[in-house]
Amino acid sequence: MTHKEMIEKVLNNIDKVIIGKRDISELSVTALLAGGHVLLEDVPGVGKTMMVKALARSIGADFKRIQFTPDLLPSDVLGVSIYNPKEMEFEFRPGPIMGNIVLADEINRTSPKTQSALLEGMEESSVTIDGETMRIPQPFFVMATQNPIEYEGTYPLPEAQLDRFLFKLKMGYPTKGEEIEVLSRAEKRVPIDNLETVISLQDLIDLQVVVKEVNVDDTIKGYIVECASQTRNNPYVYLGVSPRGSLALMKACQAYALIKGRTYVTPDDVQYLSPFVFGHRMILQPEAKYEGISTIEIVERILTKVRVPVDKVQIR
Amino acid sequence: MNGPRMDRWLLAFLYVLAFVLLREWLVPVMELTDTNYLGLFLLFIALSFLLALLNAKWWISIPVKLLYVLWVIHYVFFGKAFFSVETINYLLQDLLSNISILLNRDWMDITNPLRTILFYALLWMTTYLIKYWIEYRKSIFLFYVMTVIFVAFIDTFSAYSADGSIFRIMLAGLLLLGLLSISRLAARHNVSVSRGIFATISIPLLFVIIAGGAFANVLPVLEPMWPDPVPYFKSLSEDAGEGGSGSGVSASGYDTDDSVLGGSFVQDNTLVFEAKVRDKQYWKIETKNTYTSKGWEQDSPTGAIAVQNVNEELKDLQTTTADTPRLEAQIMMKEKFPFILYPYGTRKVSADSDVFLSYSGSTGQYKTMNDDSEIELATYGIEFQEPVYSLKQLRDTSMDEFGTSSEDLSPYLQLPQQLPARVTELAHTITEEQDSVYEKTKAIERYFGRNGFTYAQQNIAIPGENDDYVDQFLFDTKRGYCDNFSTSMVVMLRSIDIPARWVKGFAPGEIKRNATGERVYQITNNEAHSWVEAYMPGIGWMPFEPTIGFSGQTDIDYDLDLDINDPATPEMKEKEQERKKNSQKKKPVKKETNFELDKLIKDVTTWIGNHVWYFVGAGAVVLFIGWRFYVARKKWLPKVLIRNYKSKKMDWGTFTKQYRSLLNQLDRIGFKRNDGQTLADFAIEVDNHFGGNNMRQLTSAYEKGLYGGDLVNHEWVALKEIWEDLIIRASG
Repeated sequence: MTHKEMIEKVLNNIDKVIIGKRDISELSVTALLAGGHVLLEDVPGVGKTMMVKALARSIGADFKRIQFTPDLLPSDVLGVSIYNPKEMEFEFRPGPIMGNIVLADEINRTSPKTQSALLEGMEESSVTIDGETMRIPQPFFVMATQNPIEYEGTYPLPEAQLDRFLFKLKMGYPTKGEEIEVLSRAEKRVPIDNLETVISLQDLIDLQVVVKEVNVDDTIKGYIVECASQTRNNPYVYLGVSPRGSLALMKACQAYALIKGRTYVTPDDVQYLSPFVFGHRMILQPEAKYEGISTIEIVERILTKVRVPVDKVQIR
Repeated sequence: MNGPRMDRWLLAFLYVLAFVLLREWLVPVMELTDTNYLGLFLLFIALSFLLALLNAKWWISIPVKLLYVLWVIHYVFFGKAFFSVETINYLLQDLLSNISILLNRDWMDITNPLRTILFYALLWMTTYLIKYWIEYRKSIFLFYVMTVIFVAFIDTFSAYSADGSIFRIMLAGLLLLGLLSISRLAARHNVSVSRGIFATISIPLLFVIIAGGAFANVLPVLEPMWPDPVPYFKSLSEDAGEGGSGSGVSASGYDTDDSVLGGSFVQDNTLVFEAKVRDKQYWKIETKNTYTSKGWEQDSPTGAIAVQNVNEELKDLQTTTADTPRLEAQIMMKEKFPFILYPYGTRKVSADSDVFLSYSGSTGQYKTMNDDSEIELATYGIEFQEPVYSLKQLRDTSMDEFGTSSEDLSPYLQLPQQLPARVTELAHTITEEQDSVYEKTKAIERYFGRNGFTYAQQNIAIPGENDDYVDQFLFDTKRGYCDNFSTSMVVMLRSIDIPARWVKGFAPGEIKRNATGERVYQITNNEAHSWVEAYMPGIGWMPFEPTIGFSGQTDIDYDLDLDINDPATPEMKEKEQERKKNSQKKKPVKKETNFELDKLIKDVTTWIGNHVWYFVGAGAVVLFIGWRFYVARKKWLPKVLIRNYKSKKMDWGTFTKQYRSLLNQLDRIGFKRNDGQTLADFAIEVDNHFGGNNMRQLTSAYEKGLYGGDLVNHEWVALKEIWEDLIIRASG
């Protein structure tokens, strides 16, 4: 089974329960393979939870869900040590973050303290409780969601913390036809319960290693860097994409190339992924906000301007 | 900083400002070097800037400029507005002769056409630099500073007055700097500034410059803190000169006693006279005829002494003259002499006083007399016609003609008894290859420049009791100043029976602004000079300049017999042949081929000249057909390409070229790929038009090589077929 076939199997499996969201599941798998995390910004009820569950089931991974509320404490996320009177010592009870695939629902509802406990765990792939550092089992993939509609009683994530996420995605509503299909499928059975595991966790870890070997030509690196530097020189942008952003884009491109069955990254990968990677890593000038220009639009404008490398030319 | 090009009108304005600055370089150069045709040079600069402004492709701008330079050369040196075969032929030969001059490293002999070409090349490079500074660097500070320094320098150290110039430079230069820095800022921040905004931003700049200029203009000017350097240094050296009058050291200057030559010679900047005259002239005083082995003695004037009043045409003409324009010179003496300093070709001496001239044929000196006593004139005018010698005539001079001459030339062949034989032998060796009197004389004149002689004023040997002055210089010391060179030449000429005499006078001096602000040649004692006159049978006495570092010949116009059909005449050819004869000893083989090459070139150019209209017609037809072919290349080029690649070994390199050529062909038929469009995206667009997925297959193979680094694992044969198929479709 080639790498592409393995990934294809997972995606087809997810397609069985989620209808018409192939692009989102593809991007989620991309983030999973690249070792990144995804922030989904969307209204409730479009199938976010379903998709993550389907993904977890497809790879036979441990699935955890954290529903964030204002009174949630860091220990509720990370875990807590409890005194065991029988053993006469403290015993660690791991929190929900200790899973392979974690759905962090409505992350903007909880206090910054609890948010940063999660974000730190995402960044380090480990948690420190009572001075003891514990590795989070690999693969580790967080899909956080935030609801853009309600602002009352929310703590929006600061921009600096947003770049812990590889992608920021919007799921969007299904088309009418797709929605009808959703209804008809739900009529018969609850699809998610019948989903089977198609690849093993070890297969996934192997794939993560293969992703790192996908070739990124110097011309492509130059193209990525040029796109990133253009965000820094753009008059509408207050804060451009950091070098960490360029690095994230490159890793994402490698994973995406593998999904597409290639052993090398093309400029098309860069063009496809850069809005998702760069979009949440830039801060706009107030003027841009007044004019209703979004970061995605700016990235798209930059993409039309920067010269695609089509031959071997030395990068300055 | 290679953003979009600047606004065209702004650019045009910047070029106009740069033109003003560049003009300030040219004007002093023209004034100080007696170069004419300022307008033609300015036109060239304007043309260069215009082409730069229009962003003309190199294959347009280079031929246009070359053609212009060629036309200028043509116009300036032949006075004709249109090309003709003769002149082209002549120019070709001139350039050919220059090649050998350059190879011989005789820099001074480079002919004027080549000098002009070189100067145009310099201008060309300068305009290119300015284009680079304005359009790419967007900074012209360096050029501005250099302009200011150059003009200030010229103003200080020469007669050129840069009062208006410095003001123009300030206005144009600061404006240029300001406008450029605005556009530089705009380019750096990737902002496009509209014309209106640009004008608005420029208003304060303009105001500051004009106000600043006006303010500076009305400010009182301080006296210089340091003395004007030129007179200061001069006075210093004059002081130094006073002490040095010990034995064997003589101050430079005109001195009637030349009986003992040699010894060091001290600079003396005392002004002798000023001459208001158009061009440089050699100022002759007298000739001396008797060589004594130690120096020159003047016989008491013998022969007829002609006496006549001033303000009359001179009766006794020393040189035959063609119809050259009559020129005037105004002489203002600072030191008084009882004789006239006169240029070659003097026709008339005018003065206020009641004076007459006493002319001795044997010394060539015009004494100014009043009744019986000598009188010194303070100012006088001279009318003269610059002598012109026909080169053809000169080349026909023969040693046999001396016998038939009516003039008694025996005094000019005098040599001392004890003259060492090796001087005569040397003279024969130098001249044995030459036939005509003129060529022999030129050979001796040139001899000094090429045989290790040096020009020096200090520690020059004085001949001992048993030494001969000339012999000592030619064989022992080989260093000296004008007296050494000129005396040696006269003696050598005499030793081979060419009548010659030693001339004393002054070199042309330097053009300066005098106390009343006029541009005059100032002649100081340092310009005291001696040179040679030799007798050319059938022509008369002719000046020669053997001294290293002096260029007598530039002041004498040789006739350019432009009758090219007569193959023997033109000066350039003449020179070239002389040169070849000179080099004959060293490289006899090369000479042969050169002659043949010459003849071949001549034959070819003549033949082309006779059939010029065929060539023009054929050229036009070829050009038209070529143009049609070029326009229609999208139809036929793919077929050529396919044939071209048919037999080529397929590998990554070939495939890349094929793929690129396909992109070019698609571009020609209207598929334009934007900079931001990926190849894969473009391929989809192309395939949608032609159907199939050929372009996608080629593109993914190309991507695999380019981005994936896989240059080997490709289905070359299949790719080639796909490529052929697609490029054929793209041609129809």
